[in-house]
Amino acid sequence: MIGSGIKRGTAELAVLSVLQDGPLHGYELARRIEQQTNGALRFTLAALYPMLYRMEQQRWIRGTWETSGNGRKRRCYRLTPAGKKKLSPLQREWAELFRALRRLTKVAHA
Amino acid sequence: MPDWQELVRLRLSGLALDSREKEEVHAELAAHLEEAYETFCKKGLSEKEAIDRTMEQVSDWRDLQAKILIARRGDFMRKRMQQLWIPGFLALILSTAFLMTLQEVFGVKPRMVGIGQGTILFYVPWLTALPFVGVLGAYLSLRAGGSRSTMMFASVFPALSLSAAFLLMLPIGMIIEQVTKNDLSFGVVASTLLSNWIGWIAVPGAVLLAGGLVVQLFFGRTSSSRDATISGETTHA
Repeated sequence: MIGSGIKRGTAELAVLSVLQDGPLHGYELARRIEQQTNGALRFTLAALYPMLYRMEQQRWIRGTWETSGNGRKRRCYRLTPAGKKKLSPLQREWAELFRALRRLTKVAHA
Repeated sequence: MPDWQELVRLRLSGLALDSREKEEVHAELAAHLEEAYETFCKKGLSEKEAIDRTMEQVSDWRDLQAKILIARRGDFMRKRMQQLWIPGFLALILSTAFLMTLQEVFGVKPRMVGIGQGTILFYVPWLTALPFVGVLGAYLSLRAGGSRSTMMFASVFPALSLSAAFLLMLPIGMIIEQVTKNDLSFGVVASTLLSNWIGWIAVPGAVLLAGGLVVQLFFGRTSSSRDATISGETTHA
């Protein structure tokens, strides 16, 4: 079973990585993550917003109300300089972990 | 189509955040549900199916409410610290230090009003300085983004602290009276309490509040208009 720490880590990495491309509101953010991971990562509302609020607390992202073309108000999240700073080491750590797991599984199957 | 705003408001009615923040959370989550519902409708699902699938986004509203609260409370605690506790305690320390300096260093004696048990003591130089302490408390709170009521609390914080000490000492004093069998008449106790309350809480509190009101009068309006401008900018961005 995947521990909550790993789950949280992957979720944060996913959000920060997607927001790197530009600001998005919550629903669109969840949709992009689902699309870009071919449905491997899915965020329900209940999982997404507590995490976004926590990441906002940590000042990795910032949410502002904006009005879209169809006149709807949406809270858009964008990456802050602190979030950008957090993203690179997080990407490195996860890349290292996946490389290590790949080596391990290759050895196991050999 | 369901009223998602109303649905979220009902399901998360116990969200213990300030009203503005609560409204923002409700609006944001309602917008998410609305968008999910519309997507399901566009995919050809019937209205009932679309509603059911949308509602699957949240399996336990109470759990969600608790998680949102935990996620946002960090900010609430930080704001409360910056807007109330730090300005309030600074005002308290400053007023106490100034009073002690007057008493110990300059040997200032209090002015007495009344006679006997009901004598009220006033340290006039201290009272004269207290509006500035109130100004400081309110201004620091304002700078940290405190609301009007928080600013007022921060300005009268020294008097509120004394009130708390007063309330704590009252039952302790009564117990000591009982233990030592020192029977004082009700009139003596009441007049002593009243004079102390006037001299140490009511008058200093009023003077501190005057300082807080000055800040609100001169800076409060500027702050409100600034907030309105910021809100307007982000909404129409």
